[in-house]
Amino acid sequence: MAALPSEAATPSVPIAAAVMAEEPARSRRGWVHSLDLYIPAGVLVLLLLACFVWPLVYKLPPPVGGSILDASLPLGSPGHILGTDSVGNDIMSRLLYGGRVSFEVMFAVQGIGLVVGGFIGVAAASFSGLAEATVMRVLDVLIAFPAIVIALAIVDGLGAGEADIIWALAVVSIPTFARVARSGAVRVRDQTFVVAARLSGSKRWRTNLRHVLPNILPQLITFAVLGAAIVVILEATISFFGYGIPPPGPSWGNMIAAGQQVMSNEPALLLVPSIVLLVTVVALNTLSEALRARWGVVR
Amino acid sequence: MSASAVVPTSAAPEHPQEDEGLRWRTALASSPTVRLAGRRILIAIPVMWGVTFLSAILMNLLPGDAASALLGANATPLEVHQLSIKLHLNEPFLLRYWHWLVGVLHGNLGASLQNGQSVGQILGQHLPITLELVVLSSIVMLVISVPLALLCARRPGGILDRITMVLSMGFLSVPQFVLGLLFVLVFAVIWRVFPALGYTSITQSLGENLRDMTLPALTIALPSAGFYVRLLRADLLEQMQSEDYVVTARAKGLGTWHILTRHAFRNSLIGFITILGLNVATLFAYTVIVEEIFGLPGIGYQLLTGIGNRDAPLVQGIVLVFAGVVVLANLITDVLYGVIDPRIRYGRAAL
Amino acid sequence: MTTLNGSDAASGVAPLGIGGVATTETTGRPTGEKVLLEVRNLVQEFQIRNFGGVKGGVLQAVSNVSFEMRAGETLGVVGETGSGKSTLARSVIQAPPPKSGQVLFEGVDLVKLGRRQVAPLRRHLQMVFQDPYGSLDPKWRVNDIVAEPLVAYKDGDRAQRRARVAELLELVGLDPNIHGRRRPGQLSGGQAQRVAIARAIALNPQLVICDEAVSSLDVLVQAQVLNLFEKLRGELGLSYLFIAHDLALVKQVSDRVMVMYLGKLCEVGPSEAIYREPLHPYTLALLRSIPDPDPEVDQVNMREVISGELPSPIHPPSGCRFRTRCPRAQERCITEVPELQMLRKDHLVACHFPLPSSAEVAPGGGAPTAPAWTPGMTQGVER
Repeated sequence: MAALPSEAATPSVPIAAAVMAEEPARSRRGWVHSLDLYIPAGVLVLLLLACFVWPLVYKLPPPVGGSILDASLPLGSPGHILGTDSVGNDIMSRLLYGGRVSFEVMFAVQGIGLVVGGFIGVAAASFSGLAEATVMRVLDVLIAFPAIVIALAIVDGLGAGEADIIWALAVVSIPTFARVARSGAVRVRDQTFVVAARLSGSKRWRTNLRHVLPNILPQLITFAVLGAAIVVILEATISFFGYGIPPPGPSWGNMIAAGQQVMSNEPALLLVPSIVLLVTVVALNTLSEALRARWGVVR
Repeated sequence: MSASAVVPTSAAPEHPQEDEGLRWRTALASSPTVRLAGRRILIAIPVMWGVTFLSAILMNLLPGDAASALLGANATPLEVHQLSIKLHLNEPFLLRYWHWLVGVLHGNLGASLQNGQSVGQILGQHLPITLELVVLSSIVMLVISVPLALLCARRPGGILDRITMVLSMGFLSVPQFVLGLLFVLVFAVIWRVFPALGYTSITQSLGENLRDMTLPALTIALPSAGFYVRLLRADLLEQMQSEDYVVTARAKGLGTWHILTRHAFRNSLIGFITILGLNVATLFAYTVIVEEIFGLPGIGYQLLTGIGNRDAPLVQGIVLVFAGVVVLANLITDVLYGVIDPRIRYGRAAL
Repeated sequence: MTTLNGSDAASGVAPLGIGGVATTETTGRPTGEKVLLEVRNLVQEFQIRNFGGVKGGVLQAVSNVSFEMRAGETLGVVGETGSGKSTLARSVIQAPPPKSGQVLFEGVDLVKLGRRQVAPLRRHLQMVFQDPYGSLDPKWRVNDIVAEPLVAYKDGDRAQRRARVAELLELVGLDPNIHGRRRPGQLSGGQAQRVAIARAIALNPQLVICDEAVSSLDVLVQAQVLNLFEKLRGELGLSYLFIAHDLALVKQVSDRVMVMYLGKLCEVGPSEAIYREPLHPYTLALLRSIPDPDPEVDQVNMREVISGELPSPIHPPSGCRFRTRCPRAQERCITEVPELQMLRKDHLVACHFPLPSSAEVAPGGGAPTAPAWTPGMTQGVER
């Protein structure tokens, strides 16, 4: 039966519209064909290493508390590869520590979303009738809200800080996961092997855990990577508008905001974090496309 | 030899119509499109209510209140208290919500807590701007993505295709605010072609209006175009590469372009429109950001300041309108879906 | 004659199975009295939902069907696509439960019991599905798949279960060491179906429903799997409800055959009788439609036995549902729904004007207007 399109598994943000049903490409043809997977994965690994490991190994100038005497140094200055900002903080260092924030938020939000949202979605697929309709409506309502508005509102209420951002974005992320998980679970539960498993005597929770979940996990993970890109963007947006990490703490978003102030004179301040942000998001998106090509996607 | 009687296949005889009205009503009730629309509307009402209720709860949960936000940090507690009473903030939450709901059902959206202006009036002032932005962006986005997708699907792997894929990936990965800033940097600061901020009403000068809207519209349109181009292209390619009717068409001697535009495109249209409809909400989210950056006095800006000032009636009113638009978009999408694909309209017998 | 408890040397019967019923070897006709499954007035309906969830009518897939099965027999169910045979099977195992009617398994009405109470009874009633791959979780290994029922019913500890799984795999003709660790994607269609069978018999059920279990297999593999069914029947004393659309196939394996059309039972009887002397015009049409590759034999003019197309199941014809395609239909067929009547021993038919046979004249029927069916007309079904 044709499913209602607005009931399809589509979260609100277009980038995360996991609707393209591409055939999984079963290629065991060697590493060349897996380049589309390895390159973005490699880039991400490099970024993660740079942000989390590099500062431990190599002594960088601190991201905050820079001396005003060093203010506004250009690119390539000795001791400050990427220069400094208007209060003297080292850009490179701020970039890396800001990256930590972005990645931490990304992992945390998607992790919470995957676990909680996945659980809700699979459980919701077991309902029928009125309960199912209600859950669907609630999810619809939550997803109908523009994510950024909810996130800003929550952060406004909770206050700035990394944990608050995580909670705010998790609230937005969980319903989308729930919907994807639910529609995947509904698709799987109608398959014969689930019926057969139930006939073999397995109870419902058991079949959900051992049969449904493993079979929707690839789609959930693909969706998680896709959503990760959005989370990074949202976190940057929140920080940009001043609701995120309070200054002088570094975050790509507020670095860009600072760059906006001095845009006419020193475009580098704006461009550098923008480029890094762009690269990260592109890597995440390409990775998710590679995953989608391999694992197919819930329509 | 066989003495089979003439046997009618259908068992139910026709009932005589009693009057024109009855016939009309039965015809209307049995039209699948009408029933679909009716059912969707019925479902939409609780959704819309739910959205407003959720926003009301959210507003209520936010720490602080309108009175203190409006008076600022220097106000005395007495002043805050007096203002609170004036704004009815001392009443319990549900009561306030109930008043508001009743008002809405009578067509009155209440008054903004910030300046006492009627919410309906505020909407009337600012909503058109946002709508204009949305419409412009959508047009630009469609004008870019649809032909581009067709051209790419015609020669997959070709130069245009590869460039498009790279560029689209880049554009869809850029956050709106970054793109907006970059545009301002390039076009307003460096080259001084477009204004960085500000807005001129359409009634004053069409040319100026469009000039002001260009960068904002592009900021929204380009990332979306990046996304939709890939979507449409992938769908078209899927049609061209794996559908039997394409093979048949080619066997008949039809050219690739003809097949693409006349046949494959129509089939892809359904999925395309579906996603477009579903992402109306996201489009509004983008307008919020873009309005903030470019200083456009649209509804998104009002929403943000409303939240900041804890202006519950304003926020709820905006959310209501927004939810209505989303629901309407979904409904149109569903109906369009049925119109385009007759199979869906009439359903199929199960089993 | 065989007795319930002993074996009869003359008929060379295999030892008793769980049903406690001995069968003769050649015809497989059960001589035991125990009724294993009794279905009364089964009705199953589906709500048709058009686009957008708008309700579009009710489809009655199974319409007031009643029959019974004895222990140790194979009851074949035959019909076109849309006849309701698969739905019938699903209703019997309560997945989903039927809208109304009774399903008495060993005297217990499964319909009346709630979902929880049916569950423990399921170990006696199992099913093998049509799609060999579809019924196996692609992410599980064969060992785990076969062990699942044992785990669910907590049969034995790990070591015992492993041994039992190995035993079951060997029973169905697979090698536990080779195939046990594989995933369904690494098996052939026949092997996958064998795994499904192994799982189905893991708990020693009494009744196994085969829902088109061999229909999607290659012909040679079909034969192998059918042989397996037969072997298991002998060794384990299973009863089968065998559903298929291939008439020749059903005849091969069944003791008795049920013919369904648009949700209703047309004819029930011993398989020999059905084939040699069908009483229902639809059965005749099905038999006539079996092609004979022998160019010498005259091609059957199907228009003589059946005409028109399958009516919509949502709005079935009034009275006898087959009347719109039946060359023998008359006024009475429009108004009166035919009930199942026993015209011969063990042979029931639901028709106002059943086909005459050489032995008896059908009571209450009109003048025969279609050529009587004689042996040899059914090409290629010689036993």
